[in-house]
Amino acid sequence: MPEISGYAFPNDITVWWSLMIVMYPYITGFVAGAFIVTSLYHLFGRQEFRPIARLAMATSFAFLLVAALPLQLHLGHPERGPSVMVTPNFTSAMAGFGILYSGYLVVLMLEIWFVWRQEIIARARRSRGVARGFYKLLALYTYDTSPEAIEIDHRAITVLAGIGLPMACMLHGYVGFIFGAIKANPWWSTPLMPVIFLMSAAVSGIALLIVLYQVVAKLTRHPSDQPCVSALARWLWFFLIITLTLELLEIIVMAYEKSEPWHIVSELLTTRLEFSYLSMQMIVGGLIPLILLAIVVMLNRYLHDRVRNTLSTAAALLCLLQVFSMRWNIVIGGQLLSKSLRGLRSPYEPEIFGREGVLAALALLIVPFVILWVFDRLLGIRVAPNGGERPPRPEPEGAASAAAE
Amino acid sequence: MEATKMQPGAETAGAGAATGDRSAGGGSRREFLGDAIRLSGGALVFLAGSSASGSTEPAPKTKAEAYNWEEHSYAYLIDTQKCIGCGSCVRACRAENAVPDGFYRTWVERYAVGMEGSHVDSPEGGMDGFPPLAVGFTVTKSFFVPKMCNHCKATPCIQVCPVGASYRTKDGVVMVDGERCIGCAYCVQACPYGSRFLNPSTHTAEKCTWCYHRITKGLRPACVEVCPTGTRQFGDMKREDDPVRQAIEHERVEILQAHLLTEPRCYYLHLDKEVR
Amino acid sequence: MEHARHVFRALLVLVAGGAVVFLGRGFLVPRSYGLYGHYRYDNVAEQMNAHRPAHAGPQSCTGCHAAQSAKWSSGSHKTVSCEICHGPLAVHVTDGKVSAKMPVDRSFTLCARCHRKILGRPEKFPQVVLEQHVQGPVEGRVCLDCHESHFPKL
Repeated sequence: MPEISGYAFPNDITVWWSLMIVMYPYITGFVAGAFIVTSLYHLFGRQEFRPIARLAMATSFAFLLVAALPLQLHLGHPERGPSVMVTPNFTSAMAGFGILYSGYLVVLMLEIWFVWRQEIIARARRSRGVARGFYKLLALYTYDTSPEAIEIDHRAITVLAGIGLPMACMLHGYVGFIFGAIKANPWWSTPLMPVIFLMSAAVSGIALLIVLYQVVAKLTRHPSDQPCVSALARWLWFFLIITLTLELLEIIVMAYEKSEPWHIVSELLTTRLEFSYLSMQMIVGGLIPLILLAIVVMLNRYLHDRVRNTLSTAAALLCLLQVFSMRWNIVIGGQLLSKSLRGLRSPYEPEIFGREGVLAALALLIVPFVILWVFDRLLGIRVAPNGGERPPRPEPEGAASAAAE
Repeated sequence: MEATKMQPGAETAGAGAATGDRSAGGGSRREFLGDAIRLSGGALVFLAGSSASGSTEPAPKTKAEAYNWEEHSYAYLIDTQKCIGCGSCVRACRAENAVPDGFYRTWVERYAVGMEGSHVDSPEGGMDGFPPLAVGFTVTKSFFVPKMCNHCKATPCIQVCPVGASYRTKDGVVMVDGERCIGCAYCVQACPYGSRFLNPSTHTAEKCTWCYHRITKGLRPACVEVCPTGTRQFGDMKREDDPVRQAIEHERVEILQAHLLTEPRCYYLHLDKEVR
Repeated sequence: MEHARHVFRALLVLVAGGAVVFLGRGFLVPRSYGLYGHYRYDNVAEQMNAHRPAHAGPQSCTGCHAAQSAKWSSGSHKTVSCEICHGPLAVHVTDGKVSAKMPVDRSFTLCARCHRKILGRPEKFPQVVLEQHVQGPVEGRVCLDCHESHFPKL
């Protein structure tokens, strides 16, 4: 039984939205953030992101494939989950999930197809048997690699990135809207919520890619492209500043206005969420990476490669923690306070096993990397320093996948 | 290597059909595509529309008197000055609706208010009455407030249900379709009054239904039926002589959390500022 | 345009997939959905029959328990429904026939729920502190030692 301090409505003492609902925005945050990075190259033509453009796109896709799972694991009736697409009630932000998710999935799959099309055709030509049939199907039985076709591909990629970017942002922004539009819960109800979610999604996506890039560079024994790393660090710093500003702004305005909920929200933040909000979200996850990234960005030209990599990766890991604790503080924190505004319940401890437990959450985080590995085996993700868009060369199978891992 | 040998041939054949011979090769392919798209589009519209358009008959009436929901518009009146906190309503609701343990479709709160502070308690929703209370300040007034789903007109809960499982009937009762509810608990989060919960056995959302199975048969909700002091009253706004309607029309009534503009249909007499 | 063949093929796959989804959805929408709003209208009738009414009010007891009923309706407990102390009618009567004995609670707890003096009750409502209400030891004493439940005034 949870302990209540003060008074909570009798039905108010259960935390309905569990760890899985913390994982869902965390994962869609990666989807949106990684897509922002890949669009910086494919849509806005920022050449410094060329080395990781494909890695970012594949990462967005890998996380997108598992994005629906935390929701299904949470539902009281997962078998009725598809009802959201059959009879959506469009006054509900949650009903948008079906359209946004499937729409963005289609756009991303198309864009991946166009980006990897030449590789698919090359593999179709190289392979035999079942694999050959698979690649031919994937190529949709067209094998045009002429310069005109490639030009059309590039234009299609740009258009799709242009459509996909707002869709990815909406796929994550609507989650913020789900919380922000609940007038019943004063910790959630703010118009800033979708923006905060989206900015912190960018933070998590860029941070993930920084870490992933370093890992991939180590695995393939290729040095990571330093202009790319410093560009990533610069954008991470930028989005981190915006995110922290917005998160602080929300608190500051609430505290200044001293409207009815502030006394209970401040008690929530200083008692139940003291560790996860003050220590983790603001200081360890906020202030420290802010300083580390400031060093990386402002002292960029004085830094040795290894220092830059280390500082960026450390800052990125802390940012990943920050974004997770931010999701936790909003989702779980909002349910620790009763709608009576007179009581708080004891902190929520997720179960270890069980479908909404810690192990399930960890599995959800690991599966996308498995998907990435499969993606690399099937299509190859090039992160070579001098560009990811080289036309396919007739290399033997083994060396190609080893180089691309 | 066969692939590369076949490809140029296939490509030129395709190219030839598309560019050279439009009337026969490319044209017929284009016509076919056009017909196919038009046909499937029409089928889509027909099939998607027919299910939603309500070409089926509404459900047959249940009783011989054929209850007509257009003739009623229910409202609930609570006079907090009369409540003695016996908890009979909570027990009756539990028995009438098989409410699961630990959750409440209706409950009673006790307020003990003084100049230096206020204390609220609701031990098990008031189900077994209330124990004696000792607080650390001088109590100048104390009272009980029964609560339940307010069956709001502008509900936040129906607004957020993603599958249309939560709805409001024409006679003004908000209910949950247990067959369609997916158990996402969004409505539970959205209700400002804390009147909803997920049933731990059925994993669907549940709340007070104003005993719809009783009021459609001319009975009163169970909580109103048993209330010994007349605190709880149930009425029909469409009846001219209804006492609840008279009270709402002519006396000073309050609603809970008025600033949220949910337009509740549970009206309170003699509510205090301490009550949220 | 010949070089855009792969684009058209991709779009064709897309449209075909979308058609399948849309058609499939048509079969899955429930029949009475959308008749009066975004809900399944059949549920209204289901809710009307969700439970058999368990409570029937004090007038349903007079038929068989006329004596108690008469006494009760002339005393100060006449606003207290029989079902408060005894439980819902459905416990006792099923389909017009007696199915089980109605519970009779003679403990102090039952009366205390309404009449024990606590913060919150209106001043004018009859409530007592048992120690001040009876003379002598309180241990094991219940209200029904002196008061008649259906006509409580002494």
